[in-house]
Formats: sequence, structure tokens, C-alpha cells
Amino acid sequence: MSPETDDRPARSRLLASPRGPRVKRRGFLGATAGTLATAACGPSTPPPPAIAFVGPDPERSHHLREGTWREGPVHETIHTDVAIVGGGVAGSAAAWRLRRAGLADLHLFELEDEVGGTARGGELPRSRHPLGAHYLPTPPPDCPALERLLTDLGVILGRDAHGRPEYAPSAIAAAPLERHFGRGRWYEGLYPAAGETAEEAAQWARWHAHLRALDGRRGGDGKPLFAIPVARSSAELRHLDAVSFAQHLDELELRSERLRWALDYACRDDYGCTLAQTSAFAGLHHFLARGLEETRGGFLLTWPEGNARLVRGMLERADLGARLHRGAAVVAVDPHAGELRVHCPGDGRRLRVHARSILWAAPRFVLGRLLVGPDPLPVGALTYAPWLVASVEVRNAPRGVGARLAWDNVPLAGSSLGYVVATHGETADERQPGAVLTYYEPLCGDGPAELAAQRQRLLAGDRSHWADHVISALAAMHPGIASEISEVAITRWGHAMIRPVPGLLFGENLALASAPIGRLRPCAADVAGLPLFEEAFYKGSRAALAALADLGRAAPDALADEIFI
Amino acid sequence: MSAAPGTRLLLASVLVVATCGLVYELIAATMASYLLGDSVTQWSLVIGVYLSAMGLGSWLSKFVVRDLHARFIAVQLVIAVVGGLSAVALFYGYAYLASVRPLLFSILVIVGTMVGLEIPLLIRIVGAGEELKDTVARVLAFDYVGALLASLLFPLALLPHLGLVRTSMLCGLFNAAVALACTWVFRAHLPRPRAALVQAALVCAALAAGLAVGGRLERLAERELYDAPVIFSEKTAYQRLSITRSGDDIRLYIDGNLQFASSDEHRYHEALVHPALAGVAPRRALVLGGGDGLAVRELLKYPGLERIDLVDLDPGMTRLFGRDPLLVRINRGSLTDPRVHVHNADAMRWLEGHVRTNSEVYDVAVVDLPDPNNFSLGKLYTGSFYRLLRRVLSPAGVGVVQATSPYLAPRSFWCVVKTLAAAELHPRPYHAHVPSFGDWGFVLVSPAPRPEPTHLADVPLRFLDDALLPTLFVFPRDQQPPDVEANRLNDQLLVHYYEEDLRALPGRGGRG
Repeated sequence: MSPETDDRPARSRLLASPRGPRVKRRGFLGATAGTLATAACGPSTPPPPAIAFVGPDPERSHHLREGTWREGPVHETIHTDVAIVGGGVAGSAAAWRLRRAGLADLHLFELEDEVGGTARGGELPRSRHPLGAHYLPTPPPDCPALERLLTDLGVILGRDAHGRPEYAPSAIAAAPLERHFGRGRWYEGLYPAAGETAEEAAQWARWHAHLRALDGRRGGDGKPLFAIPVARSSAELRHLDAVSFAQHLDELELRSERLRWALDYACRDDYGCTLAQTSAFAGLHHFLARGLEETRGGFLLTWPEGNARLVRGMLERADLGARLHRGAAVVAVDPHAGELRVHCPGDGRRLRVHARSILWAAPRFVLGRLLVGPDPLPVGALTYAPWLVASVEVRNAPRGVGARLAWDNVPLAGSSLGYVVATHGETADERQPGAVLTYYEPLCGDGPAELAAQRQRLLAGDRSHWADHVISALAAMHPGIASEISEVAITRWGHAMIRPVPGLLFGENLALASAPIGRLRPCAADVAGLPLFEEAFYKGSRAALAALADLGRAAPDALADEIFI
Repeated sequence: MSAAPGTRLLLASVLVVATCGLVYELIAATMASYLLGDSVTQWSLVIGVYLSAMGLGSWLSKFVVRDLHARFIAVQLVIAVVGGLSAVALFYGYAYLASVRPLLFSILVIVGTMVGLEIPLLIRIVGAGEELKDTVARVLAFDYVGALLASLLFPLALLPHLGLVRTSMLCGLFNAAVALACTWVFRAHLPRPRAALVQAALVCAALAAGLAVGGRLERLAERELYDAPVIFSEKTAYQRLSITRSGDDIRLYIDGNLQFASSDEHRYHEALVHPALAGVAPRRALVLGGGDGLAVRELLKYPGLERIDLVDLDPGMTRLFGRDPLLVRINRGSLTDPRVHVHNADAMRWLEGHVRTNSEVYDVAVVDLPDPNNFSLGKLYTGSFYRLLRRVLSPAGVGVVQATSPYLAPRSFWCVVKTLAAAELHPRPYHAHVPSFGDWGFVLVSPAPRPEPTHLADVPLRFLDDALLPTLFVFPRDQQPPDVEANRLNDQLLVHYYEEDLRALPGRGGRG
């Protein structure tokens, strides 16, 4: 959930703080003396931070799992052309796409009181912040549908003389982008180059040569080796999905601990899986699907509240009004009759929904529990990574010895991915003291049993347990940060993302998971196999177009990349 | 041996010595962080060097075998002088020396060694005639109490109320007073009591005088960092604005960086504005940065101009240059001209808003921003920024970008040129000699390719004419473009280039 990096930090980059001409340094006098004076006069113990659980309500998932809301009287019946279940990226994209095609008769049901799914955002006094997914790389050239979305949302401002999109600077993650913490200080970039041996450097170079050799290549079938969305990838290297990324590296004789740390970090960051748990195809897809970072000239797009900004934009344009149902739990699904039962825990109301088409934009594993009749997909066929995400408001932005505070700040040690600065993009005229830092930690596990144990651990801890956990992880990078923290907002994701384990992407289970059942089409990112905004967007748009076709409606503006099979 | 009053005085002096010794260390560390930055490193270095110097002093004490009282007093006086003057010496050293570090560490080593020497001497003086265990217990107890006292007094009382210069003078005075008192009480033990008394009294008097004028010394020390008297200084929400005046020459500094000198700013601003306007009849102009109103003053020489939008981050800056009579005389009241509309905003954010709202485009844009010495400013030199700039220019429009010095910061200058080319702005680099800045660089830009300007408009000019104009576009053989990359928002290479260029400047390399 933070930037990918296949770019080793340039060694020429300077680490020292900027030093203007000599008079400039007078500024220190006032500032430092002022701080000392404040420290001298002010009270020494700051108030303890306010701690809250935010994000999805585990109670609701529990009710769905146990079926406690399944039966009850119906208060209202809705007949509609399309019912979308799930207000995350895929559901919002489907709603946006349907409205764009002129369909007005659609309803969207979101279990939680807020839309966004794993791209939800929150707000602390100092700033908005993400609860989950928080950035989107600018798409590669052959994604016109995604570019159309970004243009519609005002993220693409226009095009240059070559027709390439020009992105709004306010959405671009600006330098310094990343730094890592090890041996007591910060270093630029996300490859721990300090102190590497010649052999390690050679392995890094070999890894890069490996990537460069694959970069931009197409298979014998004319398709890109690694495409966005992943289903458009050539068949040529699909056999790499059968082995783990770790095995693939073994075969390449790339055993450098530093290299493996950097690649393991990328897998945990994007997929919530370790190197050994990720398929080699998925691992390479991360580095190559958008072109190598060093050659593609792209950006990372981000906002204080993360990808919640994109969801909000899509839903604003879908303009569903009262047909957007928040806090509406779909508790039973009859896909052949096109019928949903919906329970609203807020006011206890129950709806029966008759839809000509149902777009299942919620996690696929939930569907199995709600279906009337058997689910063709075996239980446990898809596995999901649990995550802990916490946004922390600090009175003073952290610093540290060495490289400057970056957007993404990653420790070499420990299981966390470090923190991303939600307030990083503030312009000079918006700047205030303090910052909001969003801490990310995937709870990796090897199989269903370990993942279940992680999930149990996640739900067992109370607010102060997880706040202590987060604060001590931050304090390992920034001693003394505890006294700077005023707010902690903790999100527990039991099923944050689909795990692209070996065999998933091109296997039978994923085909079963995404296959329509009666009038229902599964279309969340999990049935694409990769937990990416792009996958959710394309699944949602394609499902929308399929629903239009079912309704006998045309979509004359459909683009090549959303109608492929 | 010494009577009870003598012992009591000695124990009191342990307290003073310990307190003052730690205060000097705190002063050195604080000043090192002020002046050199990176406080963690500075504090660690100062503490380490100081403690090891104390160890050296303690070890040296075994070589002192005779005249313990006299030696103790001499040590006190050395501490009083060196420690007492340490802060003021560091301020002035910072202003005048190439590097302040040797001075800093010399002071630390001298004071540390002397303080380290003192305690063993005191133990031996007090201990003559009593058991070692009692002496060590008493002396060390006072020593540690003194350390506690210092660590409380320095941040809570001394620094906030006295400042660094006077704090160090005050401690020096205490050391000198201890020396004076000891000289009097132990005059019987001293080889030349009268000379010693005079010596101690002189040091006391000098430090007392220093304390009296310490506040002024500190202000003076800070002012020495500028070249001329400061007539105005204000910390706005964004930056420190300082104006100095020396005769008729008025200079503006932002965060200590010279922005203009009234004696030659006409060169800078004529070179900035008029080449862009050669052959253009502007109706609408945009100025980004330039809150001093001097570029606007030049633009207002074009009678056809109907509107100028000026975007400057700092309302403090535009207010100052809109009101202050001295400054208004320099910019000829440009900021209060009815055609001028001032917007206080981040230039990137303002431009993006302008593009989003499809507002009217400009015939000319003048980008006059401070040098890219940090990431906030560096953003305003990126491809993303220049692409916005291109969008707010009319198809036949023209712009100019202040691009640092091609001589002093060559990689930075040519990086800006390269970035403008990547943003399809057809850059034409040129430069002019501005004595207070040196060789200064600008870049003409336009959405459509334009020929090099040859005829300036018929407006009153002091520096430029048609004969000089083409020469500005010539770069001599030793100023050809180096190999640099364009500056992108997600890497901001320019900030690194600029830091490296500054570091490579002769005379700057070893500073600090």
C-alpha cells in the first residue's frame, strides 16, 4: 500500500540538510531558543492521545457470518435494473460506468456506514488520512478507460503535444518519496545499499538486468508479458505463477539479503504476503506491469485521504442520491431470481430487492455464506491478508538522523511497513505544525490456519493494545515520538486484500470465483487475483458493461480495454 | 592548614565550578546546533569532546605538585576568561571564520581540561588533614549538585532571560569571583598574593563590563552576519524578511538570501522582464513570486497592459512592499496600481486552480521565485509546474523564468533549461551581469517556438539596449551546458543539483 520501488537510490543524492548562505542560519536562533523556552516554561506531560477504532465494524461481519440477520419481515421492495453490492472501488467504478452509459435505475448497497471499502478515508483534526489503499500509479499507455476516469475526476488536466496525459500536480506524490531506517539512521530510497558487498551490488545489478530484459516485452501472442489488468497478460510467462517469488529468485541465484528484503517489502506492501507466499508472476507484475519505474516516467498519484478521493469522485459523478444505501447489509442472495435481502442495522429496516442484474462488488468469500443454493467456489479457495492500519496525529512532524522525512518511511527491522505521511502533499500556503502519519502492517501468514490466528489476534486486542503496538513501532524509528502523539485512529482489516499465492492468478479457482451465477456477476478486485485499484476498476467497469448488455442496452463509448474477454 | 571558612569557601567553589562547567558545555552544544544544524550530531560531539577533555585535565593534575592554591586560582581565571567569552567568540567566529568548528573544539578542550583539572586539585586542597573518603564524598557530592543546578538553570532561567552571550559572561563572572575570593582567603598560601589579587580583580571587572553590554554584543554579533545595518526585520508566517541599508543601497534578504540590492536591481529586473516583451504587446500579465513589486514596476512601463496578476506566497512581503515608503519609492508603488491584483498563495496551487477553472490566459508570465534551496521551492521548478505555466499562457504568449546563476550554479541553471524543454516551452537561456549577484541567468519560454528577440520595446531603460540584447544570449566556452537531467516533481533532482552547486563554490566548501 505504498510506492513500489525498483529504483535504487542514486548515490549522488545528498543526505545533508540544505544549507543556505550564512545569514540564513540565523533563523535557527529564534526557532531553537523559542523551542527551548517553550520547553522550559510549558507543562512537561502532554495529555495522553485520544485512541479510536475506525473503519469496518467487525460486528457486522460477524452477523453476516453467523446469519443472524438473515430472516425477518420485509418493509419495502425495490425493483431495479442493476443492484451493486459493495461501495468500494469496484462498486463505485461500476456505478460511475453505468451512469456514464446513461443507466439511471441502479441501487448500490454498502455494508458499512461509509463507502470506500479498503480505499476508505478518515479524518483527524489535523488532516484527512487513508484507512487503507492510498495511492495509484499513473497508468501505462494502453489503459484508455482508466485515463478516461482520471480525466473525468480532474486528475488528468489535459494532454501534451504527444497526446500524453498531464497530471494535476496536487495529486502527484512529490519528492522526497521514500527513505528507510536501519542502524539508527535514515537512508534515501528503499534499497538498503549502505555497507553492501561487491557481490550484493552485483546481484542487485543482475536483478535489474533481469527486469530490463523483460520490460516492455510482448509474448508470442502479441500481448504484453505483464499487463494491467492482469488478465490481459500474455500466456508466455504464466507458468511463473506456479512458483513462489522466493523460488524464482532461488532459480536466478539471487540470494542477497538486501535484495530480498527490498523485494519482500514490495510483496508485503502490495499483496500482504511475504516473498515465499507471493507467486513469482505477481511479484514480477508489480515491477513490470506499468513499465520499469526508471523508464516509464510515471508518477504515483495520492491524496491526503488516499484512494478514498477516487471513490468519492466516482460516486459523486454517479450521483445515486437516495439509491446509494449506506449501512445496508445484504444478508441473502438468490442469484437466479435476482433477489437480494437487505438488513439495515441502523434502523432495523429490511428490504427485498429485485434486480435484473446484480454486480457483486463485495469480497467474493462473503457471497458463499449468503447464497441461496450452493456456491460453485469451494470454501477457502481464496485467501485474504489481514492488515493493521493506524493514523497517528503528531504535534511536530518527525525528523530523524540522515535522510529527510519522506512520503513513505520504512524500517528495515520488524513486521511493519513503516508510515506514510498523509500531510506530505500540503503546499507552502497550507502548511501547519504537526503531521498525520499512517502506519501500515500486514499480518502475514502461511496458510488458512495462520491467517485465522492473525485475524483472531487482530480482533482480540483492544484499542490501547493496538495503540501501544503502533506507538512502540513508531518509537523504534523516532524515540520520544510518544509524547508528540495527540490522536490514534486504528483500522483492523480482517480481509484487506486477496493474496496472489502461487497458482491463483491463472488457476481454476479464480475462474470459478469470477464466473457469473445466474444474474449475478462477481466483480471486486479479489476475483481479479491482485489487490489493486486498477483491477477493481476494470472488473467493475467490465461488469457494468456486461450488465448493460444483459439489459439490452448499448454502450457506444466503450473502450477496447474495458470490453476484452 | 585551612580553617573552616577556607573549607566552606572551597566547597562553595566546587558548586560554582561544577555549575559553570556544565553551563559552558550546554552553551557550546546549543550554539553548535544553532550554527551548524543537525543537533543530535552536535550535542553528541560536544558532550564527547568535553568529557574527554575533562579526563585529560584530571590526568594532568598529577603533574601539579606545588603551589596548589595558586594553580587552582589560575585555572579558575582561565575558565572565567575562555568560558565567559565562549558564546561571543563563537558568534563572531561564525561571522568571520571559514569554519567555526576549530574554534568551537578549542574552547571545549580548554574549558574541559581546566574543569577536569580543578576537581582533583580541590580534593587535594580540601583533603589535606582529613580522610580521603570524607573529602571525596563531600567534593563529589557538591560537584554533582552543581551539575543538577546547571541543567535546571540553563534552560529555565539563563537562556530565556539572558541569552547565550550574557549567560556565558555571567558564569565567567562567577568563576572569576571564586578566584578573587580564594585569592583573598588563601593569600597566605600564594607566592605573589598582590599580583594574583590584581589579576583576579581585572578579570572580574572585564567580565562584569561584558555582562553589562552583553545584550548589545549579541545583537551586534547577529548583525555582523549581514554586511550592512539591518533597518527592518520581520518573521512572517513563511520566512524572515530583513532589509539592510548602507548609504543609498537598500537590500532585501529572505531567510538570509539576498533578493535585491537597490543599487543594481534595475539590471536584474530589466533583464528579467524586457527581453520577453520584445515584439509583444501584452494585455494580461502574470507574475509568480516577485512580491517586491519590482518586476511589476517594469511591466507597468507597457501602456497596453490591462491587468497584472501577482501571485506571491507571503502576504507579509506584499504588504510590506505595498506600504513601506522607502520600498514603495523603489518599486514606484507598483503593488497599489489599480491594474495589479495580488494573490497570496502557493504558485503551484494557484496555477492548478487557474487551469481547472479555465480562467483567461496570459500574454506574458514572469516567474521570479527564490532559488530552489528546498523541496517546497523546488516544486516550482518542476516539469509539472512548467506544464501548468504553459497552459495559462496564450498560444502566442511568452514567459521568462529566473533560473539561478549559470556561473555559480551551472547544473541548476541548465537543469531548469532542460526541464523547460521537456515541458515543451521552447526555452531560450540568457544571462546578464548583476554586480551584487554575479552572472545571473534567465530563460525565455513560449508555448510556440519564437525567434530570439532583437528589438526592445520603446520603454525607458537604464541597462538594456538593442546592442546589448543579442549578447545576453551568448554563453562563453566555459559556460556550456553540463550533462543534467530534467527536474521532475517526484525526484526533484534540482534541489540536489543546487545543493551540490553551492557546496562546490569556492570559499563555501569548508564552511562550518
